[in-house]
Amino acid sequence: MHRTHRREPVAFGYRLFLYVVYGVPLLWIVLTSFKSQGDVLTSQATVIFRPTLDAYRSALADPQLATSMRQSAIVAVGTTAMCLFFAIPAAYALARVTSKIVIPALALLVVLQMIPQTANLIPLFWLLSQMGLLNTTLGLVIADAALLLPWAVLLLRPFFSVVPIPIEEASTIDGAGAFRSFFSIALPLARNGVLTVCSILFLVSWGEFLYAITFMLSPGNYPMSALIAQQAGAFGIDWPRMMAFAVVSAVPVFVVYVLNYRLLRTGLTLGAVK
Amino acid sequence: MVSPITKATSRQDRSDQVSQRSSSGVSAPPKTARGRRRGAGARLAFALPAAALLLALAVWPVVQLARMSLHEVTGATLNHEWDFIGFDNYTALFDSPDFRHVVTNTLAFVVVVTVLGMVGGFLAAISVWSGTRGGNILLAMMVFVWALPPVINGSIWKFLLGDSGLVNGVLKATGITSQSIGFLYDSRFALWSVALVNAWAVIPFNALIFRASLISVDESVLEAAEVDGAGPYQRIRYILAPHARAAATVLTVLTIVYAFRSFDFIYVMTAGGPGTSSTTLPYLAYVQAFAKLNYGAGAATALLSLGVVVVFALVYARDVRRNEEN
Repeated sequence: MHRTHRREPVAFGYRLFLYVVYGVPLLWIVLTSFKSQGDVLTSQATVIFRPTLDAYRSALADPQLATSMRQSAIVAVGTTAMCLFFAIPAAYALARVTSKIVIPALALLVVLQMIPQTANLIPLFWLLSQMGLLNTTLGLVIADAALLLPWAVLLLRPFFSVVPIPIEEASTIDGAGAFRSFFSIALPLARNGVLTVCSILFLVSWGEFLYAITFMLSPGNYPMSALIAQQAGAFGIDWPRMMAFAVVSAVPVFVVYVLNYRLLRTGLTLGAVK
Repeated sequence: MVSPITKATSRQDRSDQVSQRSSSGVSAPPKTARGRRRGAGARLAFALPAAALLLALAVWPVVQLARMSLHEVTGATLNHEWDFIGFDNYTALFDSPDFRHVVTNTLAFVVVVTVLGMVGGFLAAISVWSGTRGGNILLAMMVFVWALPPVINGSIWKFLLGDSGLVNGVLKATGITSQSIGFLYDSRFALWSVALVNAWAVIPFNALIFRASLISVDESVLEAAEVDGAGPYQRIRYILAPHARAAATVLTVLTIVYAFRSFDFIYVMTAGGPGTSSTTLPYLAYVQAFAKLNYGAGAATALLSLGVVVVFALVYARDVRRNEEN
C-alpha cells in the first residue's frame, strides 16, 4: 500500500477538511459523554471541562441499558444468522446455474433491496399483527432478515462466482453430490465472502431502528438503536447520558469494525446499497 | 455490479461458463452431461428457501400494500375487513396542499444529497487514494462512520447543530452570526441541514467505490503529467476522472435511490418538521400510517414512492444484466 514518492493530486486542504468533518463528530460524542449536564447547558462547544463519569454512572444504573443491549445482541445475531442461512445457498445457486431465471432473479433482488423501508413497514406491520408476532423478538428478526436478504445474496454471489468450477466438477466426478460439493468445496473457498457479509449484516442489523421502533410496541423491548432514536426525539434531551448510550452501543460496532476492517473496505464495494 | 472488482469477477464467471459449456459439448460423454444438468437442477434448488422467504415477506407485503392503498384502513380497522374505496386515497393525496410541497422537498433533497455525495465522494477518494498514512487513517475513520448506526450519526449532528451546539458556537465566536441559527427548527434551513448530513453519511461509501475504480490509474502517467506542468485540477480532470466514469454512472443511480429512501436522519434530526418542511415522500408515508394511523393513505404514498424507486432500480438492473450477458 505505502509507496514512496507519491504525488498528492489534490491540495492537502481538502483532506484536512474531511478530517475535521468526520473526526469532530466522533470526538464530540466521546467528549460529551464525559461532561456533566451543567457543562452542556452552558456551552456545548467547550473542549476544556472537568471530565466526569456521571453520564456513564447514570446510564449504567438504568436497567433499560442492559435490557436494550441484550435485545440488540439477540436481534443482530439472530438476523445475521437467519439471513446467512437463506442467502448463502441462494447466492451459490445464482452463481452456479446458467439458467434463464438468473438474470430476472438478480433484477428482482435489486428492486427488492431498493424498496423504501416505509413501503415494507406498512404491510409488514399488518402481516406481523395477523401472525401475532408484533412486539416479539422473533417477529423483528424475521422482518430484519427479509429486509437484508436481497442485499446479502447480491453481495455474496460474486464470492461464489470466483470459486473455480473445475475444482467442483472434480469432486462431482468423484461421486460427491451437489450438497457435498457445496459444503466441502464452494463454501470453504468462499469463506472470506461469508465473513465479509456476516460482518456487514451484523453492523446493519445492529443499527436498524425503524422496524424495531414500530414492531416493538413496548419501549421495554427496544434494542439500542430504537432507544437512542426515541431519546433523540424527546424534548429536553439529556445529552451526556445520550452520548454515553451512544458510546456503549458503538462498542460492538467498533469491535466488529476493527476485526474486519480490511474485509469491509473491499467487501462494501461489491455492488451494495446501504 | 458497481466496482471493477465485480466486473472482473463476472468476466471470470463468464469464461468459466464458456469452458464448462464447451467441455460438455465437445468431449464429455452424454451420461456425464445429463448428470451435470441434474446437478444444475439440484443447485437451483439451493435458492428455493430464500425465494420462498422473499415471496412471503417481501413480495407478498408489496401486494398487500397495493391492496391497502385501495381500501380505507385505519388504526381501528387494520385487523378487520377493509372497506374498498377505489382510488380515494390517491386523489386525497394529490389534492392535499402538502403533497406538492413534499414532492418539491423530495426533489431538492435528492439533488443536494446526490450532487454533494458524488462530488464529495470522488474528492474523498482522491484524498485517500494516495495510500499515505494520512490518507489511510482518514479512510479508516470514514468507514467507521459508515459502520456506526445511523441513529447515532443523526443524534450527534442534532447535538452539533443545536442552539448552543458546536456549529453555532463557532459561527458566533467568529462573528458570522450574532444569534443562534435554528438549523433544525427553522423551516428555511431544516431540509438543507438534513440533506447536508445525509450527504456526509453517504460520502464514505461513495469514496470506497471511487477508490476501487482509481486503483487502475497508472501512477507514472500522473507523474509524467506533473513533470509536464499539469496542475492538480488538470490531473484530476484528465487522468483520474476518466477512470472513475464507469463507476460514476452506476453510483449516481445508487446515490439517488439512497437519497430518495432516506429515512433515519429525517426521523432523528427533524421528524419531518417544522410542519412538513423537511418531509420527503417516503417519510410522509410513515407519518400518514403511523402518526395519523391512516394506513390506507400511507400505503398510497408508499406505493407511489416505490414506483419511483422501481424506475431507478430497473436502470441499475439493466447494467447488472449487461455485465452478465456480455
